Formats: sequence, C-alpha cells, structure tokens
Amino acid sequence: MDSPMAEVYLQRRIAALRDWQNPDGGWGYFPGKKSWLEPTAYAILALHSQSEADPALERASRLIHSWRLDDGSYRAGAEVDDATWATALAVTVAAVRGTADSYTHASVDWLLRVHGMEGNFWLRAASLIHLFHIHADVSHQGWPWRPGNSAWIEPTAHTLIALKKIAPLEKNGELGRRIRDGEEMILTRRCSDGGWNYGAASVYNFDLPSYGDTTGLALLGLLGVNSGDVAGPIQVARRLHQNTRSPLSKAWLAVALRNYGENLPPPDNTAPLNDIALTAIEALGHPEGNFRLLGTGARS
Amino acid sequence: MTRRELLPLAGIAAAAGYASLKLKPAPPKLAAGPAGNSAVAIVRAHSYSTELAQRILEGVRQCGLNVSGRRILLKPNLVEFDPSTVINTNAAVLAAAWEVFHQLGAAQVRIAEGPGHRRDSFGMADDAGYFEAVHGLNQSFIDLNRDDVSLVRNFAGEPKFYFPRTVLDADLIVSLAKMKTHHWAGVTLSMKNLFGIVPGSVYGWPKNKLHYIGIEESILALNRQFPNTFAIVDGIVGMEGNGPIQGTPKPTGVLVMGSDLAAVDATCCRIMGVDPVKVEYLRRASEFGHVAAARVEQRCETIASVHTEYSLLPQFEQLRLTAS
Repeated sequence: MDSPMAEVYLQRRIAALRDWQNPDGGWGYFPGKKSWLEPTAYAILALHSQSEADPALERASRLIHSWRLDDGSYRAGAEVDDATWATALAVTVAAVRGTADSYTHASVDWLLRVHGMEGNFWLRAASLIHLFHIHADVSHQGWPWRPGNSAWIEPTAHTLIALKKIAPLEKNGELGRRIRDGEEMILTRRCSDGGWNYGAASVYNFDLPSYGDTTGLALLGLLGVNSGDVAGPIQVARRLHQNTRSPLSKAWLAVALRNYGENLPPPDNTAPLNDIALTAIEALGHPEGNFRLLGTGARS
Repeated sequence: MTRRELLPLAGIAAAAGYASLKLKPAPPKLAAGPAGNSAVAIVRAHSYSTELAQRILEGVRQCGLNVSGRRILLKPNLVEFDPSTVINTNAAVLAAAWEVFHQLGAAQVRIAEGPGHRRDSFGMADDAGYFEAVHGLNQSFIDLNRDDVSLVRNFAGEPKFYFPRTVLDADLIVSLAKMKTHHWAGVTLSMKNLFGIVPGSVYGWPKNKLHYIGIEESILALNRQFPNTFAIVDGIVGMEGNGPIQGTPKPTGVLVMGSDLAAVDATCCRIMGVDPVKVEYLRRASEFGHVAAARVEQRCETIASVHTEYSLLPQFEQLRLTAS
C-alpha cells in the first residue's frame, strides 16, 4: 500500500459501491437509478475477491444471468432488451469469476459473429468506384456498439479484453483471428497525437485529438501485442494521465498503465463522485485495486 | 445498387467521419406545411457580457411562450471542448436561459445533455464553464447518455427505440443550440441539437444508429417525436467553415428564438447566407414547420440587419442563398 491516505481512497470507493447496490443486485449509472450491465460489471470487478464468496456479487451475477438472450448476447440493462457491446463485459465477468458455462460459449460465438459494418463488401466496392472517398483503413474488423453498426474503439477494446480472458477456455480458431484483427483495427485508428479517441483519427483531413479514457481502453485491448506497437501510446497515456482534468480519463488510464507495469503516484484522497461506473473504475485503478482483472496477454 | 441499399453506406461514412458521399442534391421544394405562420425573434447581443437574460426574456415574450407551471428541459449543445474556439453553447447563454425560465414561473428547470463522442459529460460541462455559470448545476446536471430510459415505439422506422426518462418527462425541451456550419448536414442548429437526447448507453459514442438511419432522417424523426420544443440559438459568436468542431469563430451578435424549430433554423440559415430550402433536412421539415420566408414572422431585428455571411466548405457552396 502506498500510504494510509491512498488506502482510504480505495476503501471509500468500495464502501460506496456496496451502499449503492440496487435491491435487484445490480448497479445503475448513478445511485438510485435502474440497473445496467455496464456499471454492474465494473462494480463486480472492483469488489471481486479471489479468497471469499460474496453474497452481494452472487446477487449481481444472478441479475446478469437473467439478462441473457437466446442468441448468446446480453441485454444492456433492466429496461433495455436489445443486445449490445455490453455482452463483452458479461463474458469478462464470467471469466474472472470462474462461472463460464455453455452460455458463455454462446456469447463468445455471438461476439465472433458481430463485426463493424464499415469493412463490408459494399463499402469497399463503393470506395473502389469512388462513390466514397475513404480516409481510413477499413480492412480490419473491430466491434460496434450494436450489431449492424460501425466498429469503434471502446467496444472493440472491451471485446478484445473479454476474448483474451476467455481464450484459455475456448477451442474456436476464429477467436485468435478476430483478436489479431481487432488489435490491428485499433492500431490503424490511432490519432496523429499518438493516442485514441472514439475511433476517427481525422475528418476531412483535419486531425482529431485523442481522449484519455479511450486511450486507456485501447491500451487495455492491446495488452499482449508487440511492445514496439504500444511504446509510443504508453508515453502518450502517461502524459494524458498527468494532465487530464477528467476523472474518467484518469481512471481508465490508471487501469491501463498499471497493467503495463507503470508505477503511478497514489491518487489524492478525494471522495467518490455520485457516478457508479466511475467509482468502480477508480477502485480498479488503485494500486491495491483489481486492475489486473482486466489485464491479459493471452493469445489463443 | 439502389438508393436504399446505399443508405447504410452513407451512414457508415458519416459515422466514421472518413468518407464523403457524392450524390446529387434533391431539387429544392417545400411542403405546404402547417396552417398559419411562425414567429421567430432575432435579438441582438453583441457579447456574452451583455445582459443576456433580458435579451432572452424579450425574445421569449415576442414568441408568446408560456412556461408557467411546466417542466422545462434546457438542452445545450455540448460537443467537444477546445478553449481556442466556440464549439459549444456558451455558458453565459445557458445561465441566462436558466434564470429566465425560473423567472417565468416554470415548475422545474433542468439542464441535460448527452454528448455524441465524449463519455465524460460532467467533465465537458465543467470545461465549458457550465458549473461555474449555473449555481448548483454540478449536483443537478443530467447526463442523458446514462439516464434511465423508456421504450418508444415506431421511431424513424425502428419498431422500438429508447429515450431518456428525463426527456420523456419534460413538458418543454428548449434546444439551446449553437449557430454553426456542419461538415455533413451543411448547418447544425436547433433541430440537429436534439441528437444529444439519444442515450449513448444504448446507442454508443458516437450514436451510430442515427447515422445508419440517416442524419437528415434522424433530425426529422427526433423533431417529430418531440414537438413540444422551443429554440434559443446562440449566434453571438457562431462557427463557420469546417463546423461543428474545427470551424472558425464567427461573431454574429444575435440570439434567434422561436417555438417552430424549422422556422428558427431557416431564419438562422438566412442570417448565415445559406438558403434553407437547399438544406435537405430543412426542406423536408417543411412538412411540420415553416421554412418559407413568407411563412415566418420575424420579430425584433430583421434578417438583413444582422446578416453575416458564413464561409462554407466547398461541397456546401451550392447551399448559398445567392447561388443559382
């Protein structure tokens, strides 16, 4: 532990997460709000303990299980029955908690069937006949927020994390190919300043800046790639972590940089904000937090 | 390939921000529109230090808006933050609108936004100066991207679509837009500002589903879905050129207001030197709003007195009022 103050930082966040759990076992984006898969998954990861069973997490896991859909995907939350990118988070949680089952395999199959639409035949053909002028490499397949849409950095990073974590339990040859292709997709969408934003490096030849949160997530998705490919982005992430005013950016960058072995200064002992996903990510990124649960260098 | 088959590709292109579509524009033609005319107030405000609340109050009264006892949602345009330019609705305009709607007896005034690219809505609102300008907003600002949602049937051809509860519960949505050019839609004003009410938690960052539906189609569908609206367009310093993010500040010195968002946007276009009839979403908005100059009753200032020619990207030069 870095210091007693830093320890309090983590304890306050853990306590807040426990206080904010909904009666249905999940967490909303904000205290008192309906449960969603995303904050529920982050809270489970932040509270996860290898050594002891936790009834709160059992209830949370049961809620996530109740959001399973027939095709292997998961609902985004209590009020939304659409399948979304958050399916990747359910797979990550199952891998971390050791609860992967046949349905998890179906979820992996679902993730492997989903890809961004920008790399499809028609767009490439349209580009070829100059109907479109394309400024980006669309030859690599990432993952969209929702099936049938384009691929973006954040859902691709989360899916890469999930697939790498579940890979030791899967015998699907397509898994390794999609992981490598997804990593390539992230690498080709890098902004000119060296980091990543949501997934568009430029518009009409004007460069767009990178964001801290998506740079952190992209680096997490790239864990395990050749170190030469990420050396530059890690430097950018260090700079962003030092300079950003955004708590969310700082939190994701901390999780990512710690997984790359960076020794960051301990966080100031600030109180958690009323933002459950942020609080969970901040807890994950603490030196004594569960940041390693999102780390993996595994390749199938 | 048919035009219908092309639509998803256009969606991909627009969404990814790395492609341009080369299609001929449809011939300009307006629908007859609803009965009567629409009032639009153009109020001069030369700087953000002017007494903006009085200016907004004047415009609201000129448009005959009654907000007494109603739940008001102020929806600014919060896209990115770059201190060197003017991407977002200015904090002073937001603060003035907040004050005015309270003063006019609204039962509730809330400020909410769901930025299209950035996850950290609170950080963006802070960077844009909103929390400093509106006392207590850091405790009450609503991130529409992560609000609880409810299902709506048959939106833009989609059998089901989700919207934030905060938006569905509001009696009146005030679109506090910025006067800007836009590299895909030509202009972005009060109607397109409603993109920010679509929840990222369901549709992502960016809200890619809207691009697949089609930008114009989405603008129209959102405005049909939420007809109880009022617009206040911040044109004190607008943005020209490669908007909505990388354009150049354009001092214009106006606030444009009205209950008919199509009429407000059409008026803004004319102030900017853009022919609204040639802007596809506005041409089609004439089905439910007034775009034709003859159907818009200008209050306070005239268009001619505040006309400020905006520079346009080359592909939008055809939209100019003076172009044949």
